[in-house]
Amino acid sequence: MTGIVLVVDDEFGIAELIDAVLTDEGHRVLTAINGRQGLAMMAKERPDLVFLDYMMPVMDGAEVLSAMAGDPSVAKVPVVLMSSMPEATVAERCSGYTAFMRKPFKIAQVVTLTVKLLNRDGPDGQGAL
Amino acid sequence: MKEGGDSGLERLSSGVTGLDIILGGGFLAGGLYIIQGQPGTGKTTFGNQICFNHVAGGGQALYVTLLAEYHARMMQHLSIMSFFDISKIPDQLTYFNCLQVLHDEGLKGLLALLRREITTRGASILVLDGIVSARRAAEDEEAFNQFVHELQAIAIATDCTMFLLTSSRGTQVTPEHTMVDGIIEFTDQLVGWSAESSLQVIKFRGSASLRGRHAFKITGKGIVVHPRIEALLARPSRPDVGGTGRVSSGLDQLDVMLGGGLPTSSTTMIMGPSGTGKTTLGLQFLARCCEAEPGLLFGFYETPARLDAKIAGVCRPLRGLIDQGAVEVIWQPPTEDLLDAYGERLLQAVQRRKVKKLFIDGLGAFRQASGIEPNRIGNFLTALMNEMRVLGVTTVYTLEVPDIMGPSIRTPIGDLSSLAENLVLLRFAELGARLRRLISVLKVRDSQFDGSLHEYVTSDQGLVIEATADSAERIMVGLANLREDEQDGITQPREGRDLL
Repeated sequence: MTGIVLVVDDEFGIAELIDAVLTDEGHRVLTAINGRQGLAMMAKERPDLVFLDYMMPVMDGAEVLSAMAGDPSVAKVPVVLMSSMPEATVAERCSGYTAFMRKPFKIAQVVTLTVKLLNRDGPDGQGAL
Repeated sequence: MKEGGDSGLERLSSGVTGLDIILGGGFLAGGLYIIQGQPGTGKTTFGNQICFNHVAGGGQALYVTLLAEYHARMMQHLSIMSFFDISKIPDQLTYFNCLQVLHDEGLKGLLALLRREITTRGASILVLDGIVSARRAAEDEEAFNQFVHELQAIAIATDCTMFLLTSSRGTQVTPEHTMVDGIIEFTDQLVGWSAESSLQVIKFRGSASLRGRHAFKITGKGIVVHPRIEALLARPSRPDVGGTGRVSSGLDQLDVMLGGGLPTSSTTMIMGPSGTGKTTLGLQFLARCCEAEPGLLFGFYETPARLDAKIAGVCRPLRGLIDQGAVEVIWQPPTEDLLDAYGERLLQAVQRRKVKKLFIDGLGAFRQASGIEPNRIGNFLTALMNEMRVLGVTTVYTLEVPDIMGPSIRTPIGDLSSLAENLVLLRFAELGARLRRLISVLKVRDSQFDGSLHEYVTSDQGLVIEATADSAERIMVGLANLREDEQDGITQPREGRDLL
């Protein structure tokens, strides 16, 4: 199954890498450089999956997750939270993500997670995979 | 982390060992600084170290990259440093990459973002890594100057100290150099097969700084800077009140030859070829220490095990003093560290225990460590010894001098008179098939002394010097006879073999 994937990350090299990998896999990929831009894109076009960086200027990953939880149109969209920090550190500060991917990651992780999350029977939007 | 300085301007400690001394107390809070240097010289480590030190003290810091550098990778590299504390991220230390912001929104957009994030987070340190990207994004020089000017305004208005990290532009002076409050340049220089890192404070507004280059190392603790000793001690820390009285050299007969012992707070150089007993003499000097007059052995060549064996063999009383703590032994291999690191370690050890008798075994190690600048050694030792003098330390040090040709002594460190107030020479003399040892005093500060040669022997009591010069006279006469024999062609010694 292919879908629309939104990548939100201030490190544009990472956003571009995920964009290139998932485009090759047949997905349509959108990118944003901070949380506010990411939410604006979600308002225009509902993504099927979001790769979301935790530490960003303007609006960080925790604020995006909080905003998504309060918006029924995107509340169920699965989110892969990304960070250079351990998941335990991030989990203390936010909730509502579906999976966690620690940076630096491997391309295979991106592909595997995308396939897994887009092919789930029904998105529940909760709990790490 | 903030402290008031002499000028009344608030200071921000860098937390980088040695650097605050060079800066006269730290950076000025709310100042804008350029940290420049070629790639690989340690700028990123420095920027991170400052941030982590700041947040360790409860502050907030922001590290913004304008490079295609991945924070995850950077953190992996930093994670081996002791200052790295991931628990401070992101609540106190936040990393952003703003290169895309720069591309999309230009310098104005970047400035707006920085201002907002500094204000929102209450950041009192900002590191902007890769300022070259901002320069490239500027329409022209004027636009970039405007950016730096506005950044400075934000720094002042938010009390946020800013560090702009950039690749060195060599000697080229750019407008931002004139605008910022300070510039520190990092340099890496090859010395034979090895490399030496140093930094220079090119500009520092609002305060005096130690000028010139200062060596640094990147260690597991991050960057450790060693202020150049001759700059640090350009003026001794206190007035020289001029020591009076005498201190025993450790050998009664040598004290007699010196005119009553070594002048208090003076420096004495023991010169001679290898094997003459220079170290033994130094050990005997320390063996007269006591709790009230603590001693320090600062050595390079004799390893602790060899030193223990030597003490057991020729200076047993010293063992007890070391065990009691009246004498401390600090040993390091001569290849281990930087010249100023040795100087710093020595100074700290002397100050820590209020040492009164110092024995430096192997002055040549300082020269060896001076690496790229062997000519520094004279000023380095002069500054160090001046400080020892005002601290009331009587110093004895050894110097291996292989070439002793009659009255001429060639040393590897140049002018002796500026380095030592008292000179003692140990030498070998061949008499027939026997090797004899001779000691003489060449100079004593402001004092009469016995300048004649005395024979000595090494024993389990250390050096034992003849009470008179008689045997030395006989040796010298014997040598003169031998030379006559040589002139007759009876023997064919190698050139210079029998010269003292």
